Amino acid sequence: MTCEILERKRAGIINPIFTCQPCGAQYASIGIRNCIGIVHGGQGCVMFVRLLFSQHFKESFELASTSLHEDGAVFGALNRVEEAVDVLLMRYPDVKVVPIISTCATEVIGDDIDGVVRKLNEGLLQEKFAGREVHLIPIHTPSFVGSMISGYDIAVRDFVSFFAKKDKPVNKINLITGWVNPGDVSALKHLLQVMDIEANLLFEIENFDAPLMPHGNTVAHGDTTIDDLRNTANAVGTIALNRYEGGKAAEYLQKEFGVPAVIGPTPIGIRNTDTLLKHLSDMTGKPIPESLVHERGIALDALTDIVHMFLADKRVAIYANPDLAIGLAEFCMDLEMLPVLILLGDDNVNYASDKRISALKEQAFFDMEIVTNADLWELEDRIKNKGLKLDLILGHSKGRFVSIDYGIPMVRVGFPVYDRAGIYRNPVLGYQGATYLAETMANTIFTDMEYKKNKEWILNVW
Amino acid sequence: MNDEIKSNAEELVNYIMKKCLWQFHSRTWDRKRQNEHILDMTARMIYGEEIKPTTPEEKCYWADAMCLMEAFNNHFGWLQKMDRAKKEAVMTALKDRIDFLTVTGSLNLELTDTHY
Amino acid sequence: MPYHLFKCSECIPEREKHAVIKGKGEDISMALPLGYLNTIPGTISERGCAYCGAKHVIGTPMKDVIHLSHGPVGCTYDTWQTKRYISDNDNFQLKYTFASDMKEKHIVFGAEQLLKKNILDAFAAFPNIKRMTIYQTCASALIGDDINALADEIMEENPDVDIFVCNSPGFGGPSQSGGHHKINIAWINQKVGTVDPKIDADYVINYVGEYNIQGDQEVMMDYFKRMGIYVLSTFTGNGSYDDLRAMHKAHLNVLECARSAEYICNELRVRYGIPRMDIDGFGFEPLSASLRKISLFFGIEERALAIIDTETARWKPELDWYKARLMHKKVCLWPGGSKLWHWANAIHEEMGVDVVSVYTKFGHQGDMEKGISRCEEGALAIDDPNELEGLEAMETLQPDIIFTGKRPGEVAKKIRVPYLNAHAYHNGPWKGFEGWVRFARDIYNGIYSPIHQLSLLDISKDEIPTDQGFVTNRMLSDANLSEEVRNDPNLHPYTGNYDNVSHLRNKKYPEFPRAEKDTSVA
Repeated sequence: MTCEILERKRAGIINPIFTCQPCGAQYASIGIRNCIGIVHGGQGCVMFVRLLFSQHFKESFELASTSLHEDGAVFGALNRVEEAVDVLLMRYPDVKVVPIISTCATEVIGDDIDGVVRKLNEGLLQEKFAGREVHLIPIHTPSFVGSMISGYDIAVRDFVSFFAKKDKPVNKINLITGWVNPGDVSALKHLLQVMDIEANLLFEIENFDAPLMPHGNTVAHGDTTIDDLRNTANAVGTIALNRYEGGKAAEYLQKEFGVPAVIGPTPIGIRNTDTLLKHLSDMTGKPIPESLVHERGIALDALTDIVHMFLADKRVAIYANPDLAIGLAEFCMDLEMLPVLILLGDDNVNYASDKRISALKEQAFFDMEIVTNADLWELEDRIKNKGLKLDLILGHSKGRFVSIDYGIPMVRVGFPVYDRAGIYRNPVLGYQGATYLAETMANTIFTDMEYKKNKEWILNVW
Repeated sequence: MNDEIKSNAEELVNYIMKKCLWQFHSRTWDRKRQNEHILDMTARMIYGEEIKPTTPEEKCYWADAMCLMEAFNNHFGWLQKMDRAKKEAVMTALKDRIDFLTVTGSLNLELTDTHY
Repeated sequence: MPYHLFKCSECIPEREKHAVIKGKGEDISMALPLGYLNTIPGTISERGCAYCGAKHVIGTPMKDVIHLSHGPVGCTYDTWQTKRYISDNDNFQLKYTFASDMKEKHIVFGAEQLLKKNILDAFAAFPNIKRMTIYQTCASALIGDDINALADEIMEENPDVDIFVCNSPGFGGPSQSGGHHKINIAWINQKVGTVDPKIDADYVINYVGEYNIQGDQEVMMDYFKRMGIYVLSTFTGNGSYDDLRAMHKAHLNVLECARSAEYICNELRVRYGIPRMDIDGFGFEPLSASLRKISLFFGIEERALAIIDTETARWKPELDWYKARLMHKKVCLWPGGSKLWHWANAIHEEMGVDVVSVYTKFGHQGDMEKGISRCEEGALAIDDPNELEGLEAMETLQPDIIFTGKRPGEVAKKIRVPYLNAHAYHNGPWKGFEGWVRFARDIYNGIYSPIHQLSLLDISKDEIPTDQGFVTNRMLSDANLSEEVRNDPNLHPYTGNYDNVSHLRNKKYPEFPRAEKDTSVA
């Protein structure tokens, strides 16, 4: 009965869990109002990321490309950054924030995006766009380093470090959500509202679930403003829910402006949500209100109905963004489930010192494997060739065929989820998220029992 | 060319441009070759000649020409009623016009790119 | 020249020559946009890259192949599970994708050894798969890894495996089309002629430029088999690697998507003397003509006619039911490349819709020549459209429906224009006679969606009808039809199954006796 922390030994990836850094930077940039990112690289680096976002949200997001072609790859393509900025600003008069996001190609050819931003600031913006508020922000996200997770982390830090400016203190906290869904943001805003706490929310993406209106054009967009970002330096503290998606920004604010940072735990499950509320209360001096005791009670009541009878001892594999994966594993432990395999899809060296992972390692009373730098073959190979038995998979849509081909029920979580409707609307965070997750896991197992005629009669009486 | 012949030919041109693909190979030399062979065979069949293709290349032109000839006969009843000279005039005008649209008058800048 | 400059593009006047309106009496010698030129940076164009054109569009539909991209993980991930090209071997090519996972140290010190280990590990993971395609990416191209040499070395050491190398980095050309070209040429240069097939058939074709979207290829295979035609290979949908190495032995190349695959047909003609026949698998009339042409080539015309008669009799009443209800509905036909010309005339004539605009993301001027020729007057043709131009066009043209990609479809949705997925289809296959009815059915369902109708109602201002608990698409579509059409006993909506492809995989076909005298033309 041990927990092993392993690393993928095979060279190469079979069915990746994450995509590369520029995607993360693009996901961060769509969270800011009046922001269109320009990705400096081949067109596919944007076209497919936009497709990925639109698969997940069933919405379209605006992101531009410098459209690197052959000549640029040979002679350098900074002229294309200049042209892209010019064209974008001319045609999108509301755009104020323009991150210039690098890729593998433009990092390899050594294009100096910091230099071109300086040049544009002194030249084009003065000459052609004088009087217009425009912020060009170079973001270095070579695809051969880290993953979409680190790309997101870097981009959030770069946005914050670009804008944050010491001014009068404001009675707000910074809440850095990490890579979440609109449903999570709603759940978090609800917690803040009942706690009577105001926050600079990074990022306010509730409008990623955009309406279809009888008039006009309601493009999905983020709503974090330049003022929000600026004010992060003046907040009473920062809570970054995720260690690996926003942690860097929280650390930056603490170091640079003395804004105290609390990083994690990701508020998945009752216990981690309790901790979040404690952090919020400590940071602001606001008490945890009775209404949240009530809300927590509703969640516990729901969980009590299903844990012992149905979820106990179910063997679960989890792959997702690292904080999400760890949070889900912790929640599974509370739910009496057995997270036997946790896949972390990149080579971040900090996993080794993550206290949550250490705790899982120490307390696992069953065989648990945590694989870093993992791909989905680490999951499938164990099922297909190594006798791994599972009752449930928690993960995103890219692994759907593992579930389908091996007859293992799966609950879609994280990003991207494109093979189930409306998942982005449901929170996994907070008490609401805990209820949603546990009940969805139970219902998924029920459907599977019925489909396979595996003690399906048990539900006759419940 | 008189206006009648011209407008007759234009009906056939329109049919080809709407329904056929053989005239749109990607390079000048292929378009010329296709136009030449397919329209020549089509014309000869319209004049009543029987064509017996032997090589694969000829069969391929002929298959397109057969379909075109039948379509012309089905859709443009006036063609069969014409005398040989008029048919020839129409088919010559047709060939000229297709050559113009797809080759000599084409605005497609890629037509002379030497590599496929 | 009837160029059209969008208001939103007035500040980039070079865009003017990328859009034309086909005016009255105008033809392609007067109206043709520029095409396949480098994209203007920052326009928010819809184009992809040459890597995706090679790997994602053409390469991956090959079904019995490990598709390995040599580069960082993103290229692989991003182009994985975004298409509906199925196969009859349980979709191996959809399920598995491989990346060499190039990291910073490899950029600095080279990644050839990493790649070698990758190749061996990938084959080890799938011991039944002995074929591999390696795709170069921007990163591996820029560091100059010699993938071809490595592949040769591995093939020498492991004679049971065969590896194809496609050097098509993302930056190679204005759009994904550059990748189509490179993989076509790479395949004929490296692989065609390396297998000598045993052929026991009189009539042998390669079916080229067909990607088996939702089963298109299998539908067409059904017709070919019913005609006694042996399909030696399909390039590339549901296609087999070794079959495609034998392309040089076919009697005829039947070319469907000339945008993505004419290059290999042209080279097969030049190098092996195999003629190229361009066909249309979409639309009753174009498909019938195509089947006839192929049968004429082989001298088996009656076999094609039998199929055309049977299929037309079976499906035409259903097509016409939709046609009666789709008359003069305005369509923006905004696909990637070939479908603008495959569909422009056929949907107008056979479904009654009016194509008010065509565009192409990655097509060349040749695609626009075909597309504009096949459009009616007044149509707006756009090359390499960008986000704002698309919106402006839709606002001006007010289409009833748009056929485009998934993401642009979401743009259309927000301004209340229903969309159909032109690349992956809604409920395809759309090829074949039955498929064409399915397409008409999908258009009908899109246009007459009761929910779409509700999206036009502003409950804060408009009169809210309170006497209806529901509305059906039939109520909407038939409201203005004449009694005669509405009750025409000869017409009826689609009666096929949700899955009209899987049953073909076990279908038995008649044996045609071999021709007494070898009339084949090899």
